[in-house]
Amino acid sequence: MDLEIAPGEIVALVGPSGAGKTSLLRLMAGSLMADAGTASFGGQDLAHLAPSALRAVRSRIGFVHQDHSLVPIFRAHQNVIAGALGQRGFWSAARSMVRPTSADLDRAHRLLERVGIPEKLCLRTDSLSGGQQQRVAIARALFQAPHALLADEPVASVDPTRARAVLSLMKEIAEERGLTLVASLHDIQLARELFPRLVGLRGGRLVFDSPTAQVNDAALEALYRIDSPAPHADG
Amino acid sequence: MIPSRPPQAPGEEHPEEPSRRLLWISGIGASGLVAFAWLSGEINVSGFFGADRARNLKRFLTEDAIPFPLREDGFTWSGLWTWVAGHWNAAAGEATLTTLWIAVASMALAGAGALLVAPWVARTISTREPFLQNGPTGALWIWASRLARLICILARALPEYILAFLWVAILPGSAWPAVLALAMHNGGILGRLFGETLENLERRPLQALRTLGGSRGQITALAAVPVALPRFLLYFFYRFETCVREATVLGMLGIVSLGYQIQDARSRHAYDDMLLLVGFGVLLVLLADLTSHGVRIWLRREAPR
Repeated sequence: MDLEIAPGEIVALVGPSGAGKTSLLRLMAGSLMADAGTASFGGQDLAHLAPSALRAVRSRIGFVHQDHSLVPIFRAHQNVIAGALGQRGFWSAARSMVRPTSADLDRAHRLLERVGIPEKLCLRTDSLSGGQQQRVAIARALFQAPHALLADEPVASVDPTRARAVLSLMKEIAEERGLTLVASLHDIQLARELFPRLVGLRGGRLVFDSPTAQVNDAALEALYRIDSPAPHADG
Repeated sequence: MIPSRPPQAPGEEHPEEPSRRLLWISGIGASGLVAFAWLSGEINVSGFFGADRARNLKRFLTEDAIPFPLREDGFTWSGLWTWVAGHWNAAAGEATLTTLWIAVASMALAGAGALLVAPWVARTISTREPFLQNGPTGALWIWASRLARLICILARALPEYILAFLWVAILPGSAWPAVLALAMHNGGILGRLFGETLENLERRPLQALRTLGGSRGQITALAAVPVALPRFLLYFFYRFETCVREATVLGMLGIVSLGYQIQDARSRHAYDDMLLLVGFGVLLVLLADLTSHGVRIWLRREAPR
């Protein structure tokens, strides 16, 4: 597979379950190392970086996970401020978790306001709804002041109306801050509607990589085609 | 139509049969062991029911166990109280408190030691890329984790009594042998339990923090330990109860806890004093139990998940 994404691009990864979308996103984020080939970010080969340099790269890539992956016992602001862990030393990070500075709190509040839930700043994360947790996860990624925003099935667990709202919000934020946005999506309609570039994956291989307007129904049908299973030995 | 099960070929065994046979063999083996223990001659059953035993029991209950001042003057509440208070002020009070301090001091050391060793025990943390699923492991990290587990096993394999016995030779005449023995034994148990708890935490929130650049120390101390804390406290207070009981027993080695006073009273044949001291010990254990119970209720209310 050969895939290049330019800074500021907005791309959707589409393909059936098991196509390798999550693995590709983890490779981009430097949390999975390739057995063969290279994955690089900003021209740096992630597999050959010193631990501190890898940490620095990771700290500038925001990642919104399918299941939000927030620490459930934290207050919302703690989860948001945790976005800066990679940019702080141990004691400075410990202080910001236990007794955040007013600057950190203001920033967390502004980001939660941007994603539409400023009033949840001091609530425990496990008391929030799934949709609200998703917004906290987006705010955490933005707290990193990232260069790129990666999202793994960010709307898999919300209803269609909210899914459109959340994706539009992520796209809007990416555009206003000039961020690269790469999201894996099951909902092909949403992908076509909101993303200018589609990358189709199947069985770990790149099937197509084109501007959305050029991806036709036949290509999508081939992408999602279910191979008829081999006949069972005993019928 | 549901296909019928094919007839079993001769000699083909039902999959459940081997385990059931194992159960039978285990049952027969265990019964044989129990019978052997009773019939080996080491435990003399008839000795339990001899006439002198009955006399001893009667004398113990009607004379020895009755507080000394009440035997002749008859029972009065004020007499009983004066006797109890006298003992408390003489030596029993200090011994009871020493027992408590031994338990508290040893559990503080055990808890601190366990917190330090637990991240090394947890294989999700003691690895080259902590918290990441399918991350590279690194041989040095794996050996560090094995070493931490071995230290925990060794620390808890030695019984507290033997450990204290060894420490008494080095530090005689103080409470330190009991404190160190209990700290080592419980540190080993808690280290392993804390480590397993950290290893079995829901991985995804911690993995997410690693993905955004968090360091091993940051994620462990600021996210994993706080999430695991309720479970850590449950284990800690469960061991605290046990530790209070053990601190009493270790007095028998000559350490000035309740056990020492109990042994002293017994050697003077002052069984009334002995029973009073045992009573203080029971009260102390009940107090520890109550504290532990209270903490458990509080934790359940604080963390409903």
